[in-house]
Amino acid sequence: MFKALSDAFFKELEEIKNSYYKLALLTLFPFTVFALMIAIFYQGVAFDLPVNVVDNDKSEFSRKLLSNIDATSTIKIVSQSFNAKDAIDELKSSEVYGTIIIPAHFMRDTLLKTEPHVTAILNTQYILIGKIFKAALIEAVAKSAADVEFVRDVGKTKNSDLAENAIAPIALQITPFFNTYKNYFLFLVSALLPSVWQIFIVIVTIVSFGTLFKEKREKEFFGTSYIASKIVGKLLPYTFIFTLMGAFLLFYFYGTLGWVFEGSFAVTIFGMFLTVVAYQVVALFLFVTGFDYARALSLGAVYTAPAFAFLGVTFPTSNMNTLAIFWRDLLPISHYIELQISQANYGADIFLEIDKLLILGSFWLLFIPIVWIFKKRLGV
Amino acid sequence: MNFLEVLTAEAKLIFTDIAIVLTIVGGVLLYAFLYPQPYFSQSVTKVNVSFVDFDKSSVSRDLAFNINATPQIEISRYDMSERDAKDALIAGKVKAIIVIPHNFSRDLALKLSPVVAVGADNSYFLIYGAVLEGAMRAVLTKSATLKVGNLLVDGMPMSEAVDAYTPYSLNAINFFNKDNSYTQYVIPAVYILILQQTMLIGLGILGGGINERVRNRERAYFTKAPIWMMMSSRYIIFGSLFFVHALFYFGFSFSFFEVTHMADIGELLNFTLAFITASISLGIFLGSIFSSREVATPAVLFSSLPLVFSAGFIWPLESMPSFIKYMSDIFPSTLAMQGFLKLNQMGADFSAVMPQFSLLWLQALIYAILGYYYINKNRKKYVRD
Repeated sequence: MFKALSDAFFKELEEIKNSYYKLALLTLFPFTVFALMIAIFYQGVAFDLPVNVVDNDKSEFSRKLLSNIDATSTIKIVSQSFNAKDAIDELKSSEVYGTIIIPAHFMRDTLLKTEPHVTAILNTQYILIGKIFKAALIEAVAKSAADVEFVRDVGKTKNSDLAENAIAPIALQITPFFNTYKNYFLFLVSALLPSVWQIFIVIVTIVSFGTLFKEKREKEFFGTSYIASKIVGKLLPYTFIFTLMGAFLLFYFYGTLGWVFEGSFAVTIFGMFLTVVAYQVVALFLFVTGFDYARALSLGAVYTAPAFAFLGVTFPTSNMNTLAIFWRDLLPISHYIELQISQANYGADIFLEIDKLLILGSFWLLFIPIVWIFKKRLGV
Repeated sequence: MNFLEVLTAEAKLIFTDIAIVLTIVGGVLLYAFLYPQPYFSQSVTKVNVSFVDFDKSSVSRDLAFNINATPQIEISRYDMSERDAKDALIAGKVKAIIVIPHNFSRDLALKLSPVVAVGADNSYFLIYGAVLEGAMRAVLTKSATLKVGNLLVDGMPMSEAVDAYTPYSLNAINFFNKDNSYTQYVIPAVYILILQQTMLIGLGILGGGINERVRNRERAYFTKAPIWMMMSSRYIIFGSLFFVHALFYFGFSFSFFEVTHMADIGELLNFTLAFITASISLGIFLGSIFSSREVATPAVLFSSLPLVFSAGFIWPLESMPSFIKYMSDIFPSTLAMQGFLKLNQMGADFSAVMPQFSLLWLQALIYAILGYYYINKNRKKYVRD
């Protein structure tokens, strides 16, 4: 039995060596996609988002406020319009992400303490960009307002502590837990690359079995005995390669880039191994539903392509409906990502991870019907 | 062969191929419903938060009530210490912690600006943002009330006190997608990608499959029919099918998932035509260079995530390396996402999408020429009469 397994293992290694396509699927292609995703988010923070302004006051105060806004790293004032309509047309055509309108008599009203409103019209169609933009703007305006107020109150009370208190009776201290980098690179890429990774696991598994059946070499490869062992042997080279690739990603994030990893690498990589096998088994299952190479690829695409949306990393699981949660549970990667986040960020105790590992392991059960269908197909 | 014969032969080849049908009909319909599912509730609400109250005064209870009343936050547990709260966070029971310090109400009375601490899990940025927004709103409102109170105590008249609690303020208006709906954000763009990718896979399997058979010296309509007839058949078959898909996506699905559509119908269809034609041309071209029917799905699939994230609606184009921008511009989906978002989500004039519109037609032309060239080349290589 072990002999059958190791024979299949080495035969598969030989197949990989002789096929440029398989070699590329295991090296060039995945790493190209990884590199592209990394390049897109490499900057990690958005800066110099273009906005236009309509300054109806053109006073010392309005110029000061605008220069404070322009001085933030996030926002860059790119143009001045004379009326709101022109400004909004630019907004609609996506030339700018927002329009800042300063009302007429802004300085006078500030001095008269009638609290004028600076209006910001934001393009929130792009939610993430809108949020980044709004946060920077609120900060810049609040800071400018506080400067004005501080000068005024110090003048009145001659006491800077009391003046500060008068600005905000309750102070708010905000602490981000875990991703303290305030950086979207860590946040998005650490979930996106595993989403790319799972696509490759499924595709490679289907390619490996699909080519065999397409070229009608399945009888030659499997013979008539130890079918289960031979299937395992054929899958095993890829299990190693993809676990290694996963570990590489992990070391890239937490070694090269120096993000803090609180938990256990061993547990996380073990989770990766379970995930790789889970995907191999599902991919094989999709293949044996018809032993049709091209059809299995289509099914694999449907299964793996939308995975990122279901991870709950962007839109949280607590607000997903039952159907979405159900589909999410069918994707090993969503359980793996939970493990990765709780290990990397929380350093959670291993006992808290057992349920995730068990779920990942439960995908392996599909192997039983697969072997049965395989045997039927091969007529043994 | 006359045109009708070629058209029938192509249609037969397409619709009897289960892998193609699965993608261009099954995939398109399934994705229309599957993809929006995670975002069905549109925005993040009721994030579970632990409240740690060291003050236990009427003021702190009042603040807890106000925080709990925001749509974003649900105080799901009260912990006695920050440690307990943090354990609950690690076990995944809550996503954020709000701490009211000892002597909170006393310090308020003494005007010592007591600090309310909000800690939220930043592993999930939408959750973090929602907690922050809710907590900030509740605390700032409370703070403003207190401030106006203080000013009144100082002898300022009410009307003036209300106005003067800050020198000037920001009135931020969400212009498009006013409610920050996640469906509205993701679906219009992702639908475009789904249409393009299923189209490319379908045409890729078809073209790759034909190449394979030509290479195996098989003789059929695809070795003798004029190439322009084969290509025209594909424009007709895929064009009409995907035009129906597009109507279904932009019409029924958008309404169903409550996505706005501001575009003028004529302009929308005009732009759709450009997008579909460019996608078919690209599909014909890719099909002409794929060596077998099985290459299409992986090749197209691998491009999906980079295409979504480089289109500029998730991450600003200004913050990406420029080579990414140029690379993604060679795909119809990038231009189409930008154009459709402007037209349909932001209500821009057609003139605002002219650059994308003309580039799509240019793509349609270039890919058609390339497609013709490679189909012809492959045929010359293997078919000798």
